[in-house]
Amino acid sequence: MMPGYWGYYEPRSPKEVEDGIKAKSRRGAIGEKWWSKRWVALLESFKMGARLGRGRSYARKGQVISIDVRKGVVRSKVQGARSKPYDLEIRLTQISDDDWKKAIEAMASKAVFAAKLLSGEMPKDIEEAFVDAGCSLFPGKKDIKTNCSCPDWADPCKHIAAVYYIMAEKFDEDPFLLFKLRGRTKDEIIEALRESRASTMPQDQVEAVETVPPDLDRGPLEERLDQFWESGDDLDLVAPRPRPPEVPGAVLKRLGDAPISIDGANLASYLPKAYEVAGRAARDMAAKNGSRDLT
Amino acid sequence: MLVLHGIWDRSRFHLWAESSALPAEVKPSRGRASKKKTRPHPFAVPIEMLTDEMATIFGMNPSGAEPIICKLPATKRGPLPSPWLIREDRIDQEPSGLSPWRIDSLAFDPDSALDTLLDLPVHPPPGIAFASSLRLWIVAARLSLEMIAREQFAPVAKEGKARWRPIIDEDDQSRLQTLAKALPPTCLAFEEESSSRKRPGRGGPKPLQLVTSFIDETTDAFVRRSLIAEGIDLEPKLGGRPTKTAPLPHQFLRALAGEDPELKAAVPELNAFYKKIDRWLSSLKPPFPDAPFRTCFRLDSPPATGDGDDESWHLRIFFQAKDDKSLLVPAEEVWKARSETATFLKRKIHNPQEQLLADLGTASRISPQIERCLMAACPAELELETQEAYRFLRESAPLLEQNGFGVLLPSWWERRGARLGLKLELIDLDEETEPDLQTSRGLFGLKSIVKYDLKLALGDSTLTEAELNDLINLKVPLVQVRGEWVELPPSEIETAIKFFEKRRREGGDTITLGEAIRLGLGAELAIEGDLTVLKVEARGRIRDMLKRLSGKGELETVDAPASFRGTLRPYQAKGLSWLSYLDQLGFGACLADDMGLGKTVELIAFLLHEQALGTRRPSLLICPMSVVGNWQRELDRFAPSLQVMVHHGADRLSEKNVGEEAKRHDLVITTYATAHRDEEALSAVSWENLVLDEAQNIKNPQAKQTKTAKRLKAAQRIALTGTPVENRLSELWSIMDFLNPGYLGPAKKFHETFALPIERYRDLDRAERLRRMTQPFILRRLKTDPAIIKDLPEKVESKVYYHLTPEQATLYGAVVEDMLAKIESSAGIDRRGQILAALTKLKQICNHPALFLQDGSPLEGRSGKLTRLEEMLDEVLSEGDKALIFTQFAGMGAMLRHHLQEKLGCEVLFLHGGTPKGGRDAMIERFQSEEGGPPLFVLSLKAGGFGLNLTAANRVFHFDRWWNPAVENQATDRAFRIGQRKNVFVHKFVCLGTLEDRIDKMIEEKKELAEAVVGAGEAWLTELSTEDLREVLALSRDAIEGDDR
Repeated sequence: MMPGYWGYYEPRSPKEVEDGIKAKSRRGAIGEKWWSKRWVALLESFKMGARLGRGRSYARKGQVISIDVRKGVVRSKVQGARSKPYDLEIRLTQISDDDWKKAIEAMASKAVFAAKLLSGEMPKDIEEAFVDAGCSLFPGKKDIKTNCSCPDWADPCKHIAAVYYIMAEKFDEDPFLLFKLRGRTKDEIIEALRESRASTMPQDQVEAVETVPPDLDRGPLEERLDQFWESGDDLDLVAPRPRPPEVPGAVLKRLGDAPISIDGANLASYLPKAYEVAGRAARDMAAKNGSRDLT
Repeated sequence: MLVLHGIWDRSRFHLWAESSALPAEVKPSRGRASKKKTRPHPFAVPIEMLTDEMATIFGMNPSGAEPIICKLPATKRGPLPSPWLIREDRIDQEPSGLSPWRIDSLAFDPDSALDTLLDLPVHPPPGIAFASSLRLWIVAARLSLEMIAREQFAPVAKEGKARWRPIIDEDDQSRLQTLAKALPPTCLAFEEESSSRKRPGRGGPKPLQLVTSFIDETTDAFVRRSLIAEGIDLEPKLGGRPTKTAPLPHQFLRALAGEDPELKAAVPELNAFYKKIDRWLSSLKPPFPDAPFRTCFRLDSPPATGDGDDESWHLRIFFQAKDDKSLLVPAEEVWKARSETATFLKRKIHNPQEQLLADLGTASRISPQIERCLMAACPAELELETQEAYRFLRESAPLLEQNGFGVLLPSWWERRGARLGLKLELIDLDEETEPDLQTSRGLFGLKSIVKYDLKLALGDSTLTEAELNDLINLKVPLVQVRGEWVELPPSEIETAIKFFEKRRREGGDTITLGEAIRLGLGAELAIEGDLTVLKVEARGRIRDMLKRLSGKGELETVDAPASFRGTLRPYQAKGLSWLSYLDQLGFGACLADDMGLGKTVELIAFLLHEQALGTRRPSLLICPMSVVGNWQRELDRFAPSLQVMVHHGADRLSEKNVGEEAKRHDLVITTYATAHRDEEALSAVSWENLVLDEAQNIKNPQAKQTKTAKRLKAAQRIALTGTPVENRLSELWSIMDFLNPGYLGPAKKFHETFALPIERYRDLDRAERLRRMTQPFILRRLKTDPAIIKDLPEKVESKVYYHLTPEQATLYGAVVEDMLAKIESSAGIDRRGQILAALTKLKQICNHPALFLQDGSPLEGRSGKLTRLEEMLDEVLSEGDKALIFTQFAGMGAMLRHHLQEKLGCEVLFLHGGTPKGGRDAMIERFQSEEGGPPLFVLSLKAGGFGLNLTAANRVFHFDRWWNPAVENQATDRAFRIGQRKNVFVHKFVCLGTLEDRIDKMIEEKKELAEAVVGAGEAWLTELSTEDLREVLALSRDAIEGDDR
């Protein structure tokens, strides 16, 4: 079989890129959140074979030089083995204005959509809002058109895969990007949601009250010789009181899952023991120390 | 004395000390070399000595020793001492500036720093003072411990390391600020040694940074250490992968639980990891810190209809103004806002809807109930079922609050008083049981048995078993009982059911009276499994008793018996009534009135009262040797009818005779040391009353004399003390254990439940509970109580009687004999001269042998007068008073100043004829200054006896006497004059059986005559006949204190 026919084969390693965009994940899957995973799953459904792995390692090495996300399109430069980087493009079908209107109305009917999006999460049932409009937020195979200037005949090629992975990490941080790719920016959506929620209310403009944080620096030591040793009475107000937490494991409950997993379990799930042990040790110590007070 | 200071340099804690025994000034430097190097601090304790001292006194375990360089206020001659360091050669000088000093210090790693600071005693031992810098870091260490105990910490990844860091919420932040504000400048005055850590242009550490770094480092060290100590491995097994290449998340877990916090990976990989951890931790930060509003949730309980059908709870959503938490904007209003900026309640906010939405998104992660309301377009409230409401109250609410949301809960929940517990009904004494030992005249005694009944209580009402059974079937631990919502966890219901079952099996119960009182006075005690006694109701005699004991009921007035020679002031009569009421009940009593209010008189009246009631058994009084004479004299004066026997000294009765002889007396006086030595003989007597004077002498439970006092048997026990017992809880425990054994429980338990939380962690609830429990047995009146002031004359004069030591007596006798021999053969001016010279010598001997001998010998334990003065001044200081001490001998003044400073650890001023005017004015100003200032002022009678205004003092001591009331009064008037706002207590020392005693009597007996005779000086004495002189001057047998060894 002739190389270059069945598969374009690039024997050399790609040219190194300074300041390339590197995937943060060093091992395993790229993309921690479910919506990013769904995006990666789409890529993987193209059955790319070994190209997928190479694309992932390109993403990790930082071969992606630039990424520009616009409505409906991602444009990117990726450095391959040749001296000139390849230009590539991922195009998504934009959702029509009519459909957006319907979807936004549906989203505005439940605060959960905006609430989750604004707190950095993709609502689990976001697709619900798009069902009425008869479309889907998550693109299917048919919604994607990709194009790369590399000589590989396969589409998607490993360069496109690399950009896919970098995008997955971007989605982790900002779920609104997916909306942009489907035709609406974050601001447009927020604005539209607000419009659709709000009725009118009178406005009176009053200056906001500003508070100034107290300044602790009370000047050079040389000017404080008269009270150089004194601590003042307020020290008593600190009154530390070691006691058990109000809600057991409160901090981990407030933190929720970390964007890091270890052997398939979330980082947070390895920590409860530390809280239990250290908390108990501190409470024991508070109950015991000062044995010298006894005599 | 040593003053301990603390320095935290961002990575290690340093302990250093000033000593009063080291030179105050640096040696003048020679040559140029010394100018370059920072000079050593002249009176900072050198490292070997510091290591030894701290190891012996506190058992400290430093991580190392390294000198630090601190800038301190100084003059050209050396650094100035800190205010706690009492130096003999202290000169009050203004510092000329700050200069650097090299100081030896013990260094502690964050881990051992925390241990060391937490383990330091609340009250430093005698001879040691804690500077405020050390006190500050002790509080900081306690704050660290609190953060960890509350499990308020989280793992962070930064600068190549995995660390544990405290999570500082709003309240903690303000406490950190308070701590930073209290940071004394000395804490900032260290020089950072390595230039790498020095941040250019920052001008030294900032208070908040320094405090924060301490909390950060100690938290990390403590969490890490406790994980290592328990062998906790957070990291899952790696399956044989080599350590070096372990993935970062694995490394992270390992670095959090091991000695080595390092994370090893390429920089970009590390950065990416930091970012992920940061993003994760960011949800702990309060959302929208700059907005004027925060999102707030208010839970409203269903209206108390009582039918229990319409149990829908409402969770309403608001914006709450951060600067005025009472201002709420309903979510409906927020949803109406259309533009990007809106104004509510005159506060402008950007993107209000988006903030509310984002907050709701965050809140829904914490509280699953909230997620449900997000199904609406503009959620403003949510209906909750009782089960959900309970989860919200128990779990979501505190978490939301910690996350910076406002949470408003129903008031009954915040009160939380309404819970399941027990109501104890004390029915009456069980007459059939044996009363407490020997309470022949007493009603009961703490060990008598009380019948009681227990009921199940819920809030203010009681529950029947049938009602309880109705509650069992409830699935929600939140129920409405008679219109009131109560939390009722299943475990408590279970305990309650068991409780009823047990009662059916066993029937009624009894407890001791002591237990009943403790419960009745508010000791929280679980006596039936997990159920706590919430309420105590008593009937009949017990109700009356509890009412009186808690100070709510009137005590039956007991009048001073006819045999009492004197008049009791109204509060003293009350003291007598109280002593006799507790005696009737068979409870030990502690009379703890301020010094000078007349505890002695009250006790004497009580003894006479008992005698009048027909007591036949003797009482035993144990006191320090220094007050034996005082007791004798006061008993003589107020209770001549009492047969008093002093059992003490080398010539005391042999052990086998003590018992018999004691029975022939009403009162036996002995000292703590003798009581211990003759314990066997003394315990053979069945005492009516066992009285401890200066009961702080048994503050150490391990001491022999304490054990003796507790072993001796008596029908009634009484303790007298002038030190505020409530301030030192171990002392309080020991005294209470003497008075009412077992009442406060075993020492260790008491330490854990009360002393530790109250003294170290200022647990006010427990302090209040302890106060309620002990208050019935302690009568403490302050001289500043309005009721007391009303009963007191503005000037209260009293005599302090004391004995000579054997050394003093020998010298005294020799001088008298010598003089009498000399005047035999002289007359006129010569005779007068001899007499006056001898008088002076005798006075000197009464003051102190060293004053007479002029040999600079040590003072300790050689003068009965000085010993008593020390004890009294100790009480003066513990009551927060200031005192003047007058002496006519400048030499005595200097000795007093030195000795008192060393013994009492406070600054003592001394004014004498040689003090320049400037110095005199400065002393007076410092003494008179409102805050702080030296509390004791020694004055020579000639230099300070007139003209000065020293109204800051309310205690005046006449250490030696000028036999002229007018001169003494004039001196007293330095304090007792216009501007004095307190009662003035005047204490005049009188040595029993010496010229002091006789002349004092002469003056008392013929006051008018004396004033006429005495005139201005003491010359009248020289006119006495030799016979009369012998009478006046000779030493009588009772002048000498026994050998107390």
